[in-house]
Amino acid sequence: MAKRQLAMVMDLNKCIGCQTCTVACKTQWTNRNGREYMYWNNVETYPGKGYPKDWREAGGGFNAAGDLQPGIIPNLESDYGVPWDYNFDELADGKTLEPHMDPTWGPNWDEDEGAGNFPSDNYFFYLPRICNHCDNAGCLSACPRDAIFKRDQDGVVLVDLDRCQGYRYCIAGCPYKKIYFNPKISKSEKCILCFPRIEKGLPPSCAHQCVGRIRFVGFLDDEESQVHKLVKKHKVALPLNKNYGTGPNIYYIPPTEAPPKFDANGKVIEGSQRVPMEELVSLFGEEVKDVIKRVKAEKEKKATTGESEVMDMLIAYQHQDMFRLDGAYYEQIAAENGKKLAPVDTRYRSGKHTKLQYKAVH
Amino acid sequence: MKKFTLTLTTLAVAATSAVASSYVTASKVDMDVTKVGTKSKVWEAADATSVTLYPQTTITFNDKNAVEQNSENVAKHAQVKAIYDGKNVAFMLKLSDPSYNSVDGTKTDTYPDGFAMQFSDATDANALPYIGMGSDGRPVVVHLQKAVKKHYEPNGNGDVAHQVNPGNTNKFGKELSKFDKAVDAKAMKKYQRAFVAEGFRSTTEIKDGSADFQSNMRWANGEWYATLTRPMSDDYVDLEGAFPVAFAVWDGEKLNRDGLKHISSWTAVDVAGQDANGELVTTLTTEVTGDAAKGQKEFDTNCASCHRYGDKQMAPEYMAPNLSNIGGYSTAAYLKESITDPHAVVVPGYNRNMHPNFKWYTVTDGKRMSTMPAYGWLGEEKINDIVAFLKTLKKEAK
Repeated sequence: MAKRQLAMVMDLNKCIGCQTCTVACKTQWTNRNGREYMYWNNVETYPGKGYPKDWREAGGGFNAAGDLQPGIIPNLESDYGVPWDYNFDELADGKTLEPHMDPTWGPNWDEDEGAGNFPSDNYFFYLPRICNHCDNAGCLSACPRDAIFKRDQDGVVLVDLDRCQGYRYCIAGCPYKKIYFNPKISKSEKCILCFPRIEKGLPPSCAHQCVGRIRFVGFLDDEESQVHKLVKKHKVALPLNKNYGTGPNIYYIPPTEAPPKFDANGKVIEGSQRVPMEELVSLFGEEVKDVIKRVKAEKEKKATTGESEVMDMLIAYQHQDMFRLDGAYYEQIAAENGKKLAPVDTRYRSGKHTKLQYKAVH
Repeated sequence: MKKFTLTLTTLAVAATSAVASSYVTASKVDMDVTKVGTKSKVWEAADATSVTLYPQTTITFNDKNAVEQNSENVAKHAQVKAIYDGKNVAFMLKLSDPSYNSVDGTKTDTYPDGFAMQFSDATDANALPYIGMGSDGRPVVVHLQKAVKKHYEPNGNGDVAHQVNPGNTNKFGKELSKFDKAVDAKAMKKYQRAFVAEGFRSTTEIKDGSADFQSNMRWANGEWYATLTRPMSDDYVDLEGAFPVAFAVWDGEKLNRDGLKHISSWTAVDVAGQDANGELVTTLTTEVTGDAAKGQKEFDTNCASCHRYGDKQMAPEYMAPNLSNIGGYSTAAYLKESITDPHAVVVPGYNRNMHPNFKWYTVTDGKRMSTMPAYGWLGEEKINDIVAFLKTLKKEAK
């Protein structure tokens, strides 16, 4: 366990699957040099096979006894999908636009397919996924080279590329398949929670760019952070598949809202649940039932009284309330190591160790 | 094959099943051995020694497919030759492998064939480094080559401009082909690395150029031919008279990498024409004394409740190192030391968080202490019997 843990909360009720987060991450980190196929952030449709394909069946994580479970290493062509290109240079000769290969899978291949029958009881929701920066990371535990470490100051799980020798046991060990093998440099790479941005006062780019403002970022031990309030105080956010035993630190507000089902005559079935509760239980555990009750109660409270701290947070009025990056904390650590950090943005500096409050400038 | 024929007079009882090992002779040649390749004529005159490499089964890994593909592994035989010119020593390894496997930087789940040699500065044959990449205070230096096709690999050189795909540049025509050529010129042609280690999890790549070596790999007609040349003296080892080496080979076809490999035990190299460290050669080639049949009984009584071997699976999974091939890649001296003084060699093994219920060691004041109790109380005779039995634990080639 790290001394402190930086965490993210994602509100699944508000994710519209626009992939802005995906693109924000990709253009910043993974558009070059062997990373082209990687999506450190991806948004998949649930139910669905996801990315990489069938990652839930690919093993890894810990069993109840605490033993790391064997896993598999996904194949580039069939499980991740090769980033294909098009014959742009042939268009001038009158050819039609075609991919340069026959693609078989990709990061959003089964988008919006979901399950059930349209229109009576079909359903799906979007599930954005990044590395969970786990307390007991499967990737870290699988590494025979001590090449993966969890930063003490904020719990970000990182690969030491100097030590990594590209054995890929980490990929087998991660139950979320959120660590990737870069075949060009023969090393594993993964989401770094944009720590270079965070240290300089900017939230991770997936969270910053999110048009639905579904992502909250802050320290779990910072009682003023909305992350703390959603996860610890109001208990309305749950990690994905806690049963994998890795102690994930990305939390989700489960989907609570969906239209009712229709009967054979196209009439609304009052009180019906389009998203089966067992699906949500399989993702978030039994606690999801209580969480959904709590969120619905808060929604009702807001509608009737106009007051609800939970709803006011989930409405996501202000970025500077959603992101508390504790700038002074990072600057102090840098100073202790004889380095200097200068924030590029002061709006998100506040935090447990950052007493100085800056006035919003935007 | 050569056998070391010296028999110690103290060897009263012949071992029941252990076979004396061979040793490699490095013969002197009148050429610069840094120039040798796999096809050099100089190898024709050198004597070949058969070295047996056993599947590493002490620990298992968490790659499901790889574990399945390697579960029935048996020993492999490599033909080893050695020559030296006074300054450098060169080895030639011939290994049969029906499949050629290399990587070209485009796949996520393929692995290359490869080979490595491990050297040590230790001269005391009874206290050699742990075969799995050394142990505390007994460091090893390892030279590794893997079969890699030429591909661009910046490897931390900070050259961002050439990391993008051609389609992502704003170059066209001549400029684009210039870009492609620049990337090509920076390509990695050989995957060659040197490491220092005191136990396999501590393995650290030598990047300061202090471990100079040349190596080559060539695959033809189902055989790998590999050469490795290194200085007889550098910052890490002084190879004089006689010295220990160990070999490792990886089969990419079976998803081999890291500990999924075949390894030899420490093998003595006798430098022809130099005063040999006779004790080292003797210790590494002499049969063990002791009665393996009696040893098995002692082992099953005292050891099998923690250690699994072969079909004997009484011990809980993950409880202790699996000993199925321990006789193949361990020296008798190491086995004896491990029984009488388990704390002597405790390597940082696989990540302890993998199976936290069975800690193979505790850490006290920064020193690793084995959780295995010492068994010196069994007495010399019983221990020798157990060692003789352990030396039989190896899956020989059919």
